[in-house]
Amino acid sequence: MERQDGTGSLTTDALDSEDVLTGAEDWTPTETWLVVGSLIAALIALVIGLIVVPTSILH
Amino acid sequence: MISNRKWYTGMLSTEDWWAVWLGLSFFFLGFLTIFGIDVVGWIAYPKKWVFSLPEGAIAKKIVTVKDAFYALGGKYSQTAKDFYKGLGPIGSILITYLVFTIATCIGAYFMKWNLKKYFIGWTILFFLTYLVWFIGHHAFFAATAVDLKKSKISMFTLSLGGGASFILALIVGLVIGNFFKNFARFLSEAARPEWFIKTAIVFLGVKVGYLPIKAAATSQKLGKEVAGLTFDLFIAGAAATIVAYLIFWPGVYFIARKIFKLPRKTAAVLGSGISICGVSAAVATGAAVRAKPVVPIMVSALVVVWAMIELIILPGFFTHVWPKTDDPLVAGAAMGMSVKTDGADAAAGELMDEFMRSKIEKDTNGAIVWPEGIITVSAVMTKIWIDMFIGLWAFLLALLWVYKFERKAVEKVPVSEVWHRFPKFVLGYFAAWFIYLILFFGPGHAGAQEGIALLKAAKAGAVPVEKGMRKFFFMITFLSLGIITDFKKLKEAQFGKMVWVYFISLFLFIIPTAILIAYIFHHGMTIPNIAN
Repeated sequence: MERQDGTGSLTTDALDSEDVLTGAEDWTPTETWLVVGSLIAALIALVIGLIVVPTSILH
Repeated sequence: MISNRKWYTGMLSTEDWWAVWLGLSFFFLGFLTIFGIDVVGWIAYPKKWVFSLPEGAIAKKIVTVKDAFYALGGKYSQTAKDFYKGLGPIGSILITYLVFTIATCIGAYFMKWNLKKYFIGWTILFFLTYLVWFIGHHAFFAATAVDLKKSKISMFTLSLGGGASFILALIVGLVIGNFFKNFARFLSEAARPEWFIKTAIVFLGVKVGYLPIKAAATSQKLGKEVAGLTFDLFIAGAAATIVAYLIFWPGVYFIARKIFKLPRKTAAVLGSGISICGVSAAVATGAAVRAKPVVPIMVSALVVVWAMIELIILPGFFTHVWPKTDDPLVAGAAMGMSVKTDGADAAAGELMDEFMRSKIEKDTNGAIVWPEGIITVSAVMTKIWIDMFIGLWAFLLALLWVYKFERKAVEKVPVSEVWHRFPKFVLGYFAAWFIYLILFFGPGHAGAQEGIALLKAAKAGAVPVEKGMRKFFFMITFLSLGIITDFKKLKEAQFGKMVWVYFISLFLFIIPTAILIAYIFHHGMTIPNIAN
């Protein structure tokens, strides 16, 4: 399935067969920061949401 | 990713913008009814039908085959009711074809598609859609217990409501897409599910804005209640989406990297594709992290196919297993966060709306009737927020990749990237919603006696758009989604690993988390009963 530039269209053209599933790099501290940081942000958003959103189970 | 694009780039050349133009054009045409001009009542809409009515039956909710379609203006117009009634089923279908053909061909021309191929493909899709709509509305598939009671007919039916037509459209599309591949390839120039569904979502904005007007026709109190409910969904949807997304993305990225040992860029694209709004997010992230083009393409293919599977499973699961009709808006919000394409999500929401409304009517023997569309709105609301998140997230990932992973300190990532990645059809959705809402609370006096005449005039233009046009575009989306979905691709060896990442992430992580978060922010929200 191909997404053509500029049109946003999906068409059923054949897929490229490049191998992009192997050759994983080592896990880096930046990735740890990305994952953990995102989860911490989720936790903060959850707490704020629970307090602010009137339909949350806290109310 | 970084280019000399202007803020208006793509306004005449992308499906995203053309969904706005198409959606808002018909919205404005519908809006003219408040000035006494009705130019949208021609849209052909189906009724539930049987070949012949048994003795003693009343042609009310269920009619005979010759009345299986009607122009909505024949029922709702205040100024041209007789004209629209006079069109009859065939006349209204032909005018619908003519208007939509002209409108979409203009879009196809500006998007530089093969116009001849598009026109022929569109014509086939249009009439196939109406044929499927017709069959799907046979009483055997669609009639509910309430319909049968009101028409005084006794027969066994599947009680699927309008959902039967959606399922049938999907099945017909899948049959074409998987067994008649040359035909599907020919139709693919016109089978544009993203364009169709984004247009339908702009029409959904009309629906959301119109809901309080419709409710006010019953009582002023109900009108205000529905307006409040849609705002509650707006706020709850925002909170749920932000929390969910910030959990989804790192979770999927971690699974892809640590468990399946995928390369960083592939994991990032997969993370966005499975977490956010599938295809657009995969493409945006692919561009942001500069993955090889095949990565977002493969992820997009997976997104479309898995979305189809979710579309088949989830509406029935939520309706009949959990939470049933006890917490319909939790189910809707969870659907919006779980199904990864706009098309499949809105369609699944619409399907669940039909299923749940039919079920509650049947279970309570008509004592509880929910207004159409609120469950769909709950499903789309979370998806809309997710869509808006794409631009911001792609921008953050671009910064991270440029400045951290690839260390190209000289390269600048412009803030305008957020605008370029912003899903523009959302603007049409909000514009339509807010304009009707302003009408309701402003000159409409929130449904008070002095505003009723104006709101009734607005209704005449809103219904053909939010009901007829929206559902037609949903139908053609289902058909088109089926046509471009090729199950064989799942079998291809190179998909194997990604299929498993997607499967595990979706069913063991995304859907349970979505349900939990939807529950936290939507539990206990109720839909008004309009039975009386």
